[in-house]
Amino acid sequence: MAKSNKNSLEVKKSDQSMLYLMRPFFVIAIVYVLLINVLPANEIVMERYNLGHDQYRVLFFLVQLPYMIIWFMAFYSFAKLQRYSNKIQKSPESEDFRTITKGIKYLAFGMPLVSLIAISLNSIAVSSPGFNPTAVIAINYLSLIVPLLAYTTIRKGTHGLADRAKLNFGIIDTRFIMSILVVIGVAYCYFTFRKLNLESLGSADNPYYLPAWIMITTIIMPYLFAWFSGLLAAYEMVLYSRHVQGVLYRQSMRLLSLGIVGIVAGGVGLQYLRTVVPRTGHISINDTLVWAYFIYVVLGIGFSLIIIGAIKLKRIEDV
Amino acid sequence: MNSQSNAMLYDKVLKITNVYLGPAADRFMSRQIQNHLNKEPNELTEKDLVSLIVWIKVSVSLLTEDSGIVDEYITKLNELANAKTPTKS
Repeated sequence: MAKSNKNSLEVKKSDQSMLYLMRPFFVIAIVYVLLINVLPANEIVMERYNLGHDQYRVLFFLVQLPYMIIWFMAFYSFAKLQRYSNKIQKSPESEDFRTITKGIKYLAFGMPLVSLIAISLNSIAVSSPGFNPTAVIAINYLSLIVPLLAYTTIRKGTHGLADRAKLNFGIIDTRFIMSILVVIGVAYCYFTFRKLNLESLGSADNPYYLPAWIMITTIIMPYLFAWFSGLLAAYEMVLYSRHVQGVLYRQSMRLLSLGIVGIVAGGVGLQYLRTVVPRTGHISINDTLVWAYFIYVVLGIGFSLIIIGAIKLKRIEDV
Repeated sequence: MNSQSNAMLYDKVLKITNVYLGPAADRFMSRQIQNHLNKEPNELTEKDLVSLIVWIKVSVSLLTEDSGIVDEYITKLNELANAKTPTKS
């Protein structure tokens, strides 16, 4: 009886902890929905789609809803991983799991915070068009900081795990990763450079409002670095899940590693899309949106796998 | 001497558990022994093995629906429990 009371108290405590960890999501989501309803509607979009003010707000909310679901899943996977990391805090691999969790946390907080700032800056740009270049530049840099921080942090954790298990890249795997990066990098440069005035590197007459040399050194190169870190992180996680001892442990780790592959692939895809197709500062119902939704599905699958993997790993520590 | 053989027994159980739970094996075994036998891992004796195996079966069954894995794990532990410990002359 005493034991069952203790168990129920522990369950209650862990539920509170989940709620505590998820609280920032609810605050950010509520603020975001409030901003959609409070900030002035974009006249260009209203005119293009023949919408009234309320219809515009409903459309904006519906277009953003799938991305808000991704925020929820990102926070949920962060919360689940955090609870697993707390559970194994005395183990040798706990530091690496804590670092991976921190990387997911940067993604979970970064995605909605950038959207919050973006909706606010775009709204200012609607009332003062002269502010539009500042808004576009600021949002581009903020969008870069999130994957840069998140992927390099996740990579630090996965590298720690791989290092602890004494795992090294095989020559074929190294070639495979390098090939992926080369293809992504060259295609990214090709699509971005088409929009830059390469005859005058100092000209900011492009959709990014930045001179080409600044665009190359402060946007393109950091993005390629972030993506390379993300790819390495995903690969190291897969490598670890393949070679770590323990049939049951390996099954859970496989889910976690596939989840990281999913969020890195989805994240890279989304950042790719948002740089290659320059930001306009307002919603557009076009093929880019369809691509974005497809990428949300990949991200959703990735976060779901992380959630299931973290739940299974924690269960091993609970029984 | 006794505590040394107890520790050796724990290591043998741990070695088998490692195949199924990898890095989580030591924590899992410690929990089973502390929670169900009210002992420390280095106090594990051959007499405890039978009841420990019962608890391990219950716990591992909660982790997987694959009865093949559970049966294989429990068979290995039973083999260890049934094996005669060689004595040094």
